[in-house]
Parts: sequence; C-alpha cells; structure tokens
Amino acid sequence: MSIPDPFLQGIHSGWQVHNASLLDNDLQLEADVVIVGSGAGGATSAELLSAAGLRVLIIEEGPLRTSTDFKMHEPEAYSELYQEGMGRMSKDGAITIMQGRAVGGTTLINWTSSFRTPPETLEHWAREHAVSGLDKDTLRPWFERLEQRLGVEPWRVPANANNEVIKRGCEALDLDWAVIPRNVRGCANLGYCGMGCPINAKQSMLVTSIPACLNKGGSLLYLARAERLMIDKDRVQQLQCHALDARGVERSGHKIIIRAKHYILAGGGINTPAILLRSNAPDPHQRCGKRTFLHTTNFSAAQFADPVNPFYGAPQSIYSDHFQWRDGTSGPIGYKLEVPPLHPAFAATILGGYGAVSAQRMAQLPNTHMMIALLRDGFHPASASGTVELRSDGSPVLDYQMTPYTWDGIRRAYHSMAEIQFAAGATRVFPVHADADYVTDLTSAKNLIDGLDLSLYRARLGSAHVMGGCAMSDNAKQGVTNSLGVHHQLENLSIHDGSLFPTSIGANPQLSIYALCALLSNNLLQRFTPN
Amino acid sequence: MPHTAQSAEFSRRSFLKLSATSAATLSMLSLSASLSGCSSDSASTGFSVLRSDDLLCLSALLPVLYSGAVSSEQMNSHLHSALRAIDNNLVNFSPAMHKLTLQLFDVLNNPLTRGPLTGVWGTWAKASTADIQSFLTRWENSRFDLLKKGHNALLQLAMLAHYGQPSAWQHCGYPGPPVLQ
Repeated sequence: MSIPDPFLQGIHSGWQVHNASLLDNDLQLEADVVIVGSGAGGATSAELLSAAGLRVLIIEEGPLRTSTDFKMHEPEAYSELYQEGMGRMSKDGAITIMQGRAVGGTTLINWTSSFRTPPETLEHWAREHAVSGLDKDTLRPWFERLEQRLGVEPWRVPANANNEVIKRGCEALDLDWAVIPRNVRGCANLGYCGMGCPINAKQSMLVTSIPACLNKGGSLLYLARAERLMIDKDRVQQLQCHALDARGVERSGHKIIIRAKHYILAGGGINTPAILLRSNAPDPHQRCGKRTFLHTTNFSAAQFADPVNPFYGAPQSIYSDHFQWRDGTSGPIGYKLEVPPLHPAFAATILGGYGAVSAQRMAQLPNTHMMIALLRDGFHPASASGTVELRSDGSPVLDYQMTPYTWDGIRRAYHSMAEIQFAAGATRVFPVHADADYVTDLTSAKNLIDGLDLSLYRARLGSAHVMGGCAMSDNAKQGVTNSLGVHHQLENLSIHDGSLFPTSIGANPQLSIYALCALLSNNLLQRFTPN
Repeated sequence: MPHTAQSAEFSRRSFLKLSATSAATLSMLSLSASLSGCSSDSASTGFSVLRSDDLLCLSALLPVLYSGAVSSEQMNSHLHSALRAIDNNLVNFSPAMHKLTLQLFDVLNNPLTRGPLTGVWGTWAKASTADIQSFLTRWENSRFDLLKKGHNALLQLAMLAHYGQPSAWQHCGYPGPPVLQ
C-alpha cells in the first residue's frame, strides 16, 4: 500500500496520457514525431526527441499497467503484459515467443539483463551487412550514457542458487563465466521481473524514458493499434490506428488518424515489419520481414540435493559466453548460457509431460535448476531464420525455419549444459526433450543427448528475443533502412527497435536497442535542426 | 481480468449442474453435432470463450493431465478453477490464436473428426484414462505437424491454467509471491 506509483502520480499531475479504448468517436491528431511502440526503442527515442523540444506522440497497442497492478501472479501477467496473451508462437506452434505488450513494451517484463552489443557482432554487421558508423568506439559513449540513465551495473548481490549453478559448474570445468549487469535501482531481489516490477526498481521504460517524455509535454495514447501508414510520393502522409477494447484484443470500432512530420516505427521484431507489410510500403528487394531471428533457446533442467528455490531472487545474474565466439562468427553456431526464473506455471509448460511424469517433475520444483542456451542465429548462411507473414486478419505470424546447422548447436548446447550442471553438483539432469527424462550421471546424459531426435515439438524451444526483419544496411538490396534507421524508400520514416538488427545480437538485446536508438535519435535531431 | 464473487459463484453453480448432467448432455450434443456437422459457436453460460462441448472435453482430459498432482477428492474443485483459468487465458489471446484454439476443440469435439484423429470413438465422458493417454501419445508422435501442434497447445493451456492457481502450489513447493510491506 505504501509503495509509491510514480506513473499514476504523473497522470494525476497532468500528463497527456489517454486510453483509446474509452474513445467514443474517431480522432485526428498531429505531432512533430509519432512513435509507434513504447518499448526500449520507442521510449528511448521519445525521451531524446521531446527533450529537444519536439512534440512527440507515442502510440502503444497494449494496456497501461503500473506498479500498483503488478501482483506477481503468472496468469494475470502473462495474459495482460505479453503479446497475444502469451499465445504468440512461431507459425508451426513449436516455439513460444515471449514479447511484451503494454506501456513500456518488453522492458516491462524482461529479466533485466543489460549487455553491450558484442564487438564481434558489430564487426560482422560492418563486414557482411554494409552497416556503417556503428563500431564499438562510436557506440561506447552511448552505452555509457544509457547505462548511467538506467542504473545498469553488474549485480552486486550474491546470485540466487539457480544462477549460482553456472558459476560453480564453470569454475569446476575452468570455463568462462561472468556477472550480468542489470538495469535496476533499489532492487529487493524478489525474482518477479517477468511479471512487472511491483516496486519500480527495474528501470524499465515505464519508470524512466516514458515519464521523461511526458514531463516534456509528450503524449501517450495506449490501447491503439497502428494499422497502416498511408504513403504517397515517397513519403508517409499519415498513420491510421484502430482503438482497441480494454483487453487490447478486439477493435473498438473507432479510428485514429495521425499526421506527423516524421514517423518512427518501434513495435519490435514481428510487429514493425507487419505494419510495413499491411501498408504495402515500397520494398523493391523484398527485405521486409525477412531474416527475423529469435536467439532460439533450448533448456536443460537439473535437480540438486539442496534447495534452489528458482522462483526467488534476481532472475538472471550469471552467464557464460564460453561457447559464444569460439569459432568466430563463421563457424558452428555459438550460444550464450543463462538461466530463466522458474515460477510454477512457466516451469510446468517447459518441463512438459502430464500426469505422474509432470507431477513428479513439479514436486521437485524447489530443488530444480534450469539452464538455457540462446543460439546466436543469423550469422551463418546455414542458420535458422524467420519470415514475418500476415494472417488473413492482418496480424503477423513468424514462419521460423530450423536448419541442421542450428540443430547441431542445440545438441552441443544440451551437452554443455549437462556438463556444467553435473560439475556444479547436480544429482540428476534432464535435457528438456519429449524423449528424455532425468538421468543420474554425465555419461548417461551424453548418450541420451547423442541419441535424441532433434526436431520441432520434441526438443522444447522458446524465444524471448525477437530481432531483425527490418534490417539496416547501407546497401538497399540488403536492408529496409540505412545505417541511420531511415527507410530506404520513405524519407520521413525511421525504424527504432530491435527489428533493425541484421543478425541476432549474441546477448540479451535491450541495452543494444537503447544505445542504438539513442544514437539514431540524435542523428535524426541533427537532421531536423541543421542550423 | 478480476471476477466478482457473484459471477464466480454463478459459474460454479452452472459448472456443477453441467457435471451432474454431463452424461445425458454429452450424448445429445454428440448426436446433434454429428447431424449438423458442427458444434455451437457461443460460449457456455458463465464462460467467455469455452463452449459446452469444450467444457465436456476438457472435463475428461484435465483429470488425466493433472493426475498425480491433484488427489481424486480435490480434482473437481481444481477442474473448476482450471476451466476458468483456461477461459481467462483464451479471452486474452489474439483473435487469431483464439480462433486456432477453438478449431482445435472443434476437431476434438466433432464426432466426424474425433474418432479418426483421436481414437476416441465414443463421447469424451465415456473415454477411459487409457483412451485419453493413447490419444495424447498418438498426437505427440503423429506424422502430422497439426496434431503435434495440437498436443503441444493442449498441454500448455492445461499446465499454465493449473499451476497458475494458488491451490496447485503446495504440490510443487512454491510458497507464493512474497508479501510486500
């Protein structure tokens, strides 16, 4: 009761925040810049542009939920704060895609890991994707600025037991590991970052850049879905939006037309290319929606004699990049090792099975640790890759195609995770796969993993990082935008989100999106105010 | 979305009524579905999405899915809260995923598809635990991606719904979220 809710206080102080589901007529709005999406890219851009005196309007399709609403219960959080009510999946239904959908976007529900873009990734983009001006040295001051802005620091509190497994196992095997930098201030180490931070410790866009924009006279319209850009003469003329119902599911029937000097799409991977596809935006080289990546993730569970309590404590605080860059960007696919928090509903869907099998696995939850491998997709021509398509109702779906090259990485990752887990003292390890179960020693685990049929639906796969689909490249044949994030064919349209990435990042992407979009917004400001 | 005590009680009553008459209702529904070739489109009383056929199907499937985690004495009350939770989940799905999920239930409910695809030729209420286990194994290992996808979707919906409820937490040793001062 006594926990302050600064966002509600801001609204009471007179912020321009409007709920489109309450509209009782159509609406026409004007702004200097309209930004579609209030997540990492959109809100960061909104803060910088409004600070420079531009009239900024943020459009968000999701609902507004603030700390008062965050009750640390899975069902409400998943239904209200995630894309498609946590029902978003790859087209074949084999990969669950966790993406935020509320004011603050995915920053509201991510697990706070904040990595700089790996230099290997930036070099690869310059070399293979004609990206210019985004080298390590150019980005460094932007990373420093955003890290200060968002309280990003390596986590100083001892890791919870779930994360500690990576450290202990890697030390025993002499593998690299490190502490994860997190964007928190006054974090109480609760463990519920994925359900909205109830104490506003996470420095999500809800408590940082969106308030900053609103304090500078910016405005926010939520429960409004950007439907299409109206395009004429190489310019966007207006943005058409639909007001949604209070759940953010169905259209309410009212339209919103927005005219602006400049348009920024920041709906994230999948949603941003979908707006361009619905708009029939010029795409002479058929790049829009192509090369969408997921950091496709597989899972390895382990049981320990001592309690792990994987539902409590900072969800991600230790990682290993030991297997990430061993063969550069051109060799076999690399992967980052982290852990997810394990709350009961999430754990039950990942661990799989039903009846006695599921019941036994779940009964051991307090002693269960889970590790994940995030595969660095998009660097190698043989990598898995996805294409955004529109369903008949205009909503997007990702057709993601696995490849033998990527499956090879999945198998190696199962091995690495089992090795680390046993080295950390696990009594039993379960490579999460329909044909596997817990085994009690490493030799059995390795035999089991080598024999697994790696195919969709059998290997449990997930994703929390959608990247690409509107790649930046100075070569118009390779990208939707140039390296400044400006659309190759539409001069008053920019893209400021993770869909710009020509490949996956090789690290949790939020800090990469913040820094890149801050830099791009700064460039945009110079263009608006040449004198 | 929060539910008022009144509406929860109302749906509980309608659910109990449904359970009591399920055998008779099922045979009638099954007959009418086979004659019409399609099932009802409207949600059952007290529910936003799930239709009476869906409730009957899930009422047969969920006890098998939850066995081992829920005692038989407690199954009815868990079943009730799980059905509500699945309904709440679906009502927040995107229209596309909502539609796909209802199509999955159509396949399970329509006798023309249920028999050939699941091996359950009679009604769900008459299916034995072994019948249901055999159906799940068959879909999990099917040559058809659509059925594997359906198996995946059913299990995910069921497990999310169950373990999201405080009543399920004792079994999995989860003390619940911390109380904030």
